[in-house]
This record gives sequence, structure tokens and C-alpha cells, in this order.
Amino acid sequence: MIEVTGLKKKFKLTKDHKKNKLEKVDPREDKDYFHSVRDVSFQCAKGEVLGLLGPNGAGKTTTLRMISTALKPDEGTIYIAGEDIVKKPLFGRKSIGFLSGSTGLYGRLTVKENIEYFAKLHGMNKAAIKTRCDELFDLLDMHSFIDKRAENLSTGMKQKANIARAVVHQPAVVVLDEPTTGLDIMTTQTVIEFIKGLKAQGTPVIFSTHHLDEVALLCDRVAVINEGISCFDGTVEEFKQAGNSEELNQAFMNILTEKHNV
Amino acid sequence: MFEVYKKELKELLRDKKTLMFVVALPVLIFPIIFAVMAFISSQAALEADQKVNTYVIINGEYAQEFTDKVFYHKSFELYKGSKAFNTIEDLKAGVTAGDIDMGIYLPSNAVKTLDGGEQSKWQVVFNDAKSINFLFKRVKELAQEYSDVLQADKLKSFGIEESTHKSILNPIEVVKVDTADKRENLGEKIGGFLPYLLIPLVLMGATYPAIDLGAGEKERGTLETLLLTPITRTELVLGKFITLLTTSIASTTITVVSMGGWVAVALAFADLEFIKTAFSTLAVTDLLMIFVLLLPLAAIFSSLALAISIYARTFKEAQNYMAPLSMGVFFPIIISIMPNMELTAKTAFIPVTNVALAIKDIIKGTVDYTFVGLIFLATALIAGALLAFCVKWFNREDVLFR
Repeated sequence: MIEVTGLKKKFKLTKDHKKNKLEKVDPREDKDYFHSVRDVSFQCAKGEVLGLLGPNGAGKTTTLRMISTALKPDEGTIYIAGEDIVKKPLFGRKSIGFLSGSTGLYGRLTVKENIEYFAKLHGMNKAAIKTRCDELFDLLDMHSFIDKRAENLSTGMKQKANIARAVVHQPAVVVLDEPTTGLDIMTTQTVIEFIKGLKAQGTPVIFSTHHLDEVALLCDRVAVINEGISCFDGTVEEFKQAGNSEELNQAFMNILTEKHNV
Repeated sequence: MFEVYKKELKELLRDKKTLMFVVALPVLIFPIIFAVMAFISSQAALEADQKVNTYVIINGEYAQEFTDKVFYHKSFELYKGSKAFNTIEDLKAGVTAGDIDMGIYLPSNAVKTLDGGEQSKWQVVFNDAKSINFLFKRVKELAQEYSDVLQADKLKSFGIEESTHKSILNPIEVVKVDTADKRENLGEKIGGFLPYLLIPLVLMGATYPAIDLGAGEKERGTLETLLLTPITRTELVLGKFITLLTTSIASTTITVVSMGGWVAVALAFADLEFIKTAFSTLAVTDLLMIFVLLLPLAAIFSSLALAISIYARTFKEAQNYMAPLSMGVFFPIIISIMPNMELTAKTAFIPVTNVALAIKDIIKGTVDYTFVGLIFLATALIAGALLAFCVKWFNREDVLFR
């Protein structure tokens, strides 16, 4: 289970940004700071898939980066298995598997070397690495290209390698930032099957997306962020009710409009 | 930390560009460049030495002995064309037009002037803008020989014995008694040049791989995944830092070994006494001492290059930031070859300059080992401080996620 409460994160505005600013258009911007995330809370239990929704620039990536410990929140807590990973980032890194659409691989290493490298950094021993790699190569059907250099892979192969890299250490929680962006149908299907597999294993999955058909297919819960603030957190059914529509797209639009007007 | 080091090294060794900069460039390209430069300059000097120059002498009959000396010299050939040369302006026009290489103008009253006890002024017209030009030197030598004869004749006409001419013309002769041995003399020359070669190589061996290890990680999208592994930032920085230290030292060692090899090859085929003498003065311990001094310098460059690279957003941006560093390293080396710059307790604390001065002293065989220790300590302290800064730099979100 992962529980996110009251997350806040601000970034100092650069001189260039201040100089080029014509008028104050974003309510999150003050004289010196951009308050990217102002108050975000949600939770995701064992075996649940949570879809993190929000318009572009809502603060989804910043939120996921805080969960993955790449960024340190200014305020708030993130509990995984009873530990606040804001205070214990190394524990968080051992517990989380992170993947985004822009994640890269080391081009001059083979797929196998890439995955083994991250397994070693996670402190796994040789025997455990071999067992886990074989398991992942079978699961993701990767045997045909594990000895190829990453720079020579197709987009689909790269994403499979990235998935394997993200979960090689068997994380307690998996965080995916727009994992299907820019992928073709076949590769998108691989990612969807992978999330289903994690759900079946009981691993909580948080993933941000703009594709509400993926939410309908995979998610048990939905959290919506707008302008850095949580404006919904609940089950998919509750989401539909709150948005006054059976259609997820419409419900999403209604929630955003309603919160904006308020 | 060692996993990061092993992986970085493996990746770098598979990068053709890195291999080009760290291995191929030092092994082949530098010696080839030096060999080609030496060949071209020696050919140019040989050509200038062997060139036969066309000349004209106006009023040559007033100094027949000199005119004959020029006529019979292997480097000169009398102009046989149809143009007439009567004035200094004609000679200038002839040299500019390429009809002659040189013109000598003797005043028409040359003999009369000398007989009257006055100095005679001869003018040599030629193009002095050419980089290698032996013309003027040779004419001066011939004129000097003629002048000596005139001088001797004049003194004899005054009744002065030939045996006393020397003491009258040069009553005092100053003779140099040099306390510097051959090694010190050669060391001064080679020792000033060596830091120009070694120190930039140490830097170059670190900068190119550093761009790949910092900005390259950002551009490829691998930095974030690396930051999310349970290794500390200190371990991460140390892993990358040791990689750069390795490439920097490896690049320098390969270059020195390769150059040594090429010098040995050159000595086997040619009689280069000067180079033989210069290298025979160097002991293995001298080379080891230079290597030891370059280690903390490599650490300084590695830390700096890594800090710059991780700040840059892209490979290209990092290359732009590295450019001033590459040029800036020459400044302290230039200071080291300035007149009267010596290794002292003060200069031992000027980064880079101190190592350059020490290398010069080591080659000369006059190094003070206390200063070597002081330099090592000072450079290592700066390297340590820069490494600590690098670790701090890697902890800043505004640097990592610019």
C-alpha cells in the first residue's frame, strides 16, 4: 500500500523566466517561485491500479518524481509499508520501480547488461539476478534480443527492456509516468499486459496517462490533479458519479470544470 | 561505486569517439602530427639552405674582392637578364618583380670613404618577410670577411704589428663559465615544453568522457533511472569520478609511452645526438615523480569536468562549457615559463603552474623534493575540495533537473 498525503513542491523561477513573463497567468506562480504541486493526496492499496489524471502541466510528473524520490517534497508524506520514504529515500528507492515514456537505456550496453547493471545497483546477488532475469525475459518474450546493444533496438524492444529494468528488483510499488506515450499499438499492448500482470501479483501500480480508455481497462482507482491540487480521489465508479457521466472523458471534463468554477 | 565504475568503463571502451580521443589520438595522431611538422620544417630549412639566389651588385668594382667572394659563393648566381639596375630603386623594383632575389648597393665613393677614415654604408635589398631566409646572414658574413681584411690592412698601414691587432680591437674578452651541466641546460628547454604537452592531455583525457558521463546521461534519459537506485550520490559521483581519473591518466600514459616509442624508432634510424643526450639524462624515478604529480592534477580536472558536465542539459551545451576550461588551462602553464618564475614556497600553491614548474625542475635535475611534497599536498587538497563540491552539486535538484 502507498499513501500520499499533502504533497507540496515549489521551484525557484529563473531570471530568464522572470524577465520574459508578460503577465501573471498561472495562479501557482508568485514573485520568486512556481508552486508546481500545492496539495496532492491519494492512496493505492495492494493489487490496485491507480490512474493519475490531469491536464498538461497539472503537476503529475512532479508528483510521480516525488514518489520515486528523484525530487524531495517541500511538505507532505509518502508512506510505503509503514515507512515515510520522504525521510528514508533509500528505502523508497528499493521499494519503487519507476518507468516513464522518456526513460532511456545505455545504448552501448546489451539489453542483458543494462538489466543486470540495475539489478546490481539494487544490491541483488548473481544467482538472484540470473533467476529474475530469466523470469522477466520469459514473461516479456525478450530472448531474441537480450544480447543486442540497446542502441540497435526498436521502440517496442526498448520499452520491454525498460519494463524489465524497472521491475528487476521486484519493487513493492510500481510508478509509471505516461508509459504508453509515443508507442505503437503492439508495444502499448505489451505495457497494458505488464500492468495487468503486476495487478494479478498484488503489486500496487500508479500510472499517469492521458488515455482514458487505458483507465477504463486497467484502473481500480482514479486520482485527478489540476493546477497542483488534488481534485478527486476515489474508485472508477465514484469518478463517474462525481463527473455526472458514464463516459470517462466527459466525467473527467466535468470534474475539472466544476473544480475550476469553484 | 565499483559497479558504476565498471559499467562506465565498459561503456566508454565501446564508444568509438572516446577510443579515438583517449587511445588513437595519443598513439597515432600526435606522433604523426609532430613527425609531419618536423619533416616540413626541416625540408623548408634545407630548401632555403640549398637555394641559389640571383643577385645584382651596383658599384661592385669598388670592392672587387667582396664582389668576387659573392660571385664564387654556391648560394649566389649573378643576374644574366637584360634589365639594367643603376639605383637602389631599380634593385627594389627588381626584387618586388621577382627578377632578382637580392640586390647589393655599394656607394660609388666606397674606396674614397674608407681611405678618408670614414665608415662605408652598404645596402642589401631583399624580401625579409619569408620565414626562413639565409640571404642577409650570408652577405653579412662575406662583407665581414672583406671588412676584416680592410681592417687589418689599415692597422698595418699605421705600423701596428699583426700579432697585436686582436688586443687592440678587443682589449677585453668576456668568457662564460656555465655552472649548469648539460642536463640542466637541456632540461630548461625540454622542461618548459613538456607541461604544454602533458597537462592539456590530462585535461583532454577527462573532458570528453565527462561529457558522456554527465550531460550524456541527461540527454539519453538514463540519469533519472540511475538516481532512483539505492546507491548514495557520493557513491555515484565517486564511481564516475574514478572512471574519469582512469581515462585521464590512461590517455596521458598512452601518449607518453607512444611518444617514447616513436622517439626510440627515430633514434634507431637517425643520428639525433641532441635527443639522445636529452633522454639519457632522465631516470625512471623522474618519470615516476612526474606521474605522481599529474595524479592530483587529473583529479582536479576530472572533478571540474564532471561538475560542468552534470550542469549542462545536453551534450552540445556541455561541449560549449568545456571550451573555456580547455583554453584556460594554458594560462597557468604560460605563467610557469615566464622569466624568473621559479618553484618556491609561494608558487608551489598556484594550481597547474606549480606542477608545470616542478616538471621543469625534475627534468633539469634541480628539483627540491620538499616542494614536490608540498605541490602534491596542495593539489590533492584542491582536488578533494572540488570532489566534495561535485558531490554537493549532484545533490542539487536544480542542477540535475534543469
